[in-house]
Amino acid sequence: MSGIWTEKYRPSKFSDLVGQDNSVKRVEALTGSLNIPHMMFAGPAGTGKSTLALIIVKELYKENWKENYLELNASDERGINVIREKVKNFARTKSLGNIPFKIIFLDEADALTPEAQQALRRTMENYSTTCRFLLSCNYSSKIIDPIQSRCAMFRFKLLEKKDIEKVILKIAEMEKLTIKPDAIEMLYEGCEGDCRRCINILQSTASISPSINAELIATIISNTKPRDIKVVLDYALSGDFQKAKEKLLDIMLKESISGQDVIKAIQKEIWNLQIEPTIKVKLTEKTGETEFRIVEGSDPFIQLQALLASFVLAGLGKE
Amino acid sequence: MPWVEKYRPKKFEEIKGQDEAIFKIKEFLKNFGKKKIAIILYGPPGTGKTTLVHAAAKEIDSEIFELNASDLRNREKLKEILKPAVEQKSLSKEDKIILVDEVDGISESDWGGLTQLMEIIDSSSYPIMITANDIWDKKFSPLRKKCDLLPLNEISYDIIKSVILDISKKEGLSITDDLITELSIKAKGDLRAAINDLQTLSKLKDYFPIILDERNKETDIFNSLRKIFKEKPSNDMLGIFDSVNMSIDDIILWVEENIPSEYSGEELARAYDLLSKTDLFKGRIYKQQYWRFLVYENIFLSYGIASSKKKPKTGFTSYKRPSRILQIWLNNQKTFKKKSICEKYSKYVHISQRRAMADFPVIKQILKSNFGIQKELKLEDEEMEYLKL
Repeated sequence: MSGIWTEKYRPSKFSDLVGQDNSVKRVEALTGSLNIPHMMFAGPAGTGKSTLALIIVKELYKENWKENYLELNASDERGINVIREKVKNFARTKSLGNIPFKIIFLDEADALTPEAQQALRRTMENYSTTCRFLLSCNYSSKIIDPIQSRCAMFRFKLLEKKDIEKVILKIAEMEKLTIKPDAIEMLYEGCEGDCRRCINILQSTASISPSINAELIATIISNTKPRDIKVVLDYALSGDFQKAKEKLLDIMLKESISGQDVIKAIQKEIWNLQIEPTIKVKLTEKTGETEFRIVEGSDPFIQLQALLASFVLAGLGKE
Repeated sequence: MPWVEKYRPKKFEEIKGQDEAIFKIKEFLKNFGKKKIAIILYGPPGTGKTTLVHAAAKEIDSEIFELNASDLRNREKLKEILKPAVEQKSLSKEDKIILVDEVDGISESDWGGLTQLMEIIDSSSYPIMITANDIWDKKFSPLRKKCDLLPLNEISYDIIKSVILDISKKEGLSITDDLITELSIKAKGDLRAAINDLQTLSKLKDYFPIILDERNKETDIFNSLRKIFKEKPSNDMLGIFDSVNMSIDDIILWVEENIPSEYSGEELARAYDLLSKTDLFKGRIYKQQYWRFLVYENIFLSYGIASSKKKPKTGFTSYKRPSRILQIWLNNQKTFKKKSICEKYSKYVHISQRRAMADFPVIKQILKSNFGIQKELKLEDEEMEYLKL
């Protein structure tokens, strides 16, 4: 059994999955019929997409699941050609056991460019007799229509507090932790409905002490947030763009923080700044536009620098 | 201290490969008062123009009085500095040499400075030494007539190599001969570039030869940036980057790097806004394969950036090479261990490496105190060490 709790407590049965009743029921029924279509799981991180895929293959192939299952991550594999090559090799041999197909799980499929998705669609067609594809993505809008139309779509939602609480309490019992209600509250707020993150924070905190309180949790969480974003904004507001830019680059590189996480932190920080209400709103608007562009695939450094430049303006009292 | 400064030759004897130029400068100084009183040293970057002037000052034991393009522009300031400089004897030393560095950095809006320079040449009682990359533009024609011209050639490969070898010995680098050769060839006659590259390499593990790309492109990009940043927007700017032998993606990086050195406040915000739109259209081309969007990319990046300023800029700005990519590379070297840990971890728990990197602070906390997990993930000793940091 793994020492990593996200693995140790990963649900292994349909009935153990929390928070996604609708999707799970439908997938369970399909799996029971032993003939599944291509499927797409769309939803935020840490809501059970990979877990559901693993449950399906274990359910279908029992102990032979590893031979019949290929897991690929679109954001790690270098290009669609690598993916195609791996799929080709995997699909060449026949499946073991009585299920006539193998399963390929392509995680974070929305990391693929539209061209790569077109290529993927061809691959799905070429191997459709021998393979089923399970795709996961955060945003289904980033997946081209032809792929969506070939898949049965299942949407995952952020876990609610009662679901998160269930998970926490179960782990606390198994690991003999004492955990106070306000700590659970803090965990829920800190993980933002992402169950993996919740468990990671819990284990991280438990590695310091088995009696868990809100204070400890808060310390761990603050370590995971992009720090010093305020410093960046302060430099920008005081007109020292160069320093702001250097600091931003520094934070993003040293701590490997993504543009999206930085923008999240900026958006929250705006409300602590001593600036005019109208300017706050303008900056928020600009921040939203920047986030939109980054999500769409623009260069995060350039977009964030442009945003910082508007903080310089705000520092001069202008919009 | 940058090695180009640390190892800059102080005296004529220490300067390699410019014997003819040194001879001519000595002649110029010897005949000062009889013939021309100004000399233009011109040639490609990194051939020793400024170094020669400083060595010349040492030779005749005089001090250097330096003027740049922005000083020339400012009449009041100029009079103030120049008056005592030209008319009074300096206190400590017998003589002065007036150095006007990088005269071709004078932009269109600074042309007044050129007239001013001519007046100085007429009234100065001290030798004036001018450096430039290229003086064959017609705007310099009157200036050329007033001055001795001293062309400087690119430094030969042999000399670059011997200087680089010498420095790497003095710095105690164990760098391979092959790499020194490669670096010396790539410098294309630019000794400063070669020394800078050597210093960059020395900071890297294993002296891995990275981003030592040719610098000959840079003269073009410098001129284009100067135009965009300094001058009033004009329609001929629209095609300005066509003549720059660089991809538009690289040009975007150059502009990004240098906006803050020219613009501030509202101008800065406007320029960055347009740069971010350039980037937006770049993304749209990529996503939709609709190449007509390139038009917008080009317009925003040239005319757009130029239009961000309220009025033309004066003075000389030395533009920087884009450092972001290098920084990312250097940083990747540093976070190599972190990456390899994340790679193992991410495979194990069915997530992407990218996500593992983003969650690293929490993951690290979990891993570092739990040897069981470290074993489970088959971490190497070095990776375990990294977790302790």
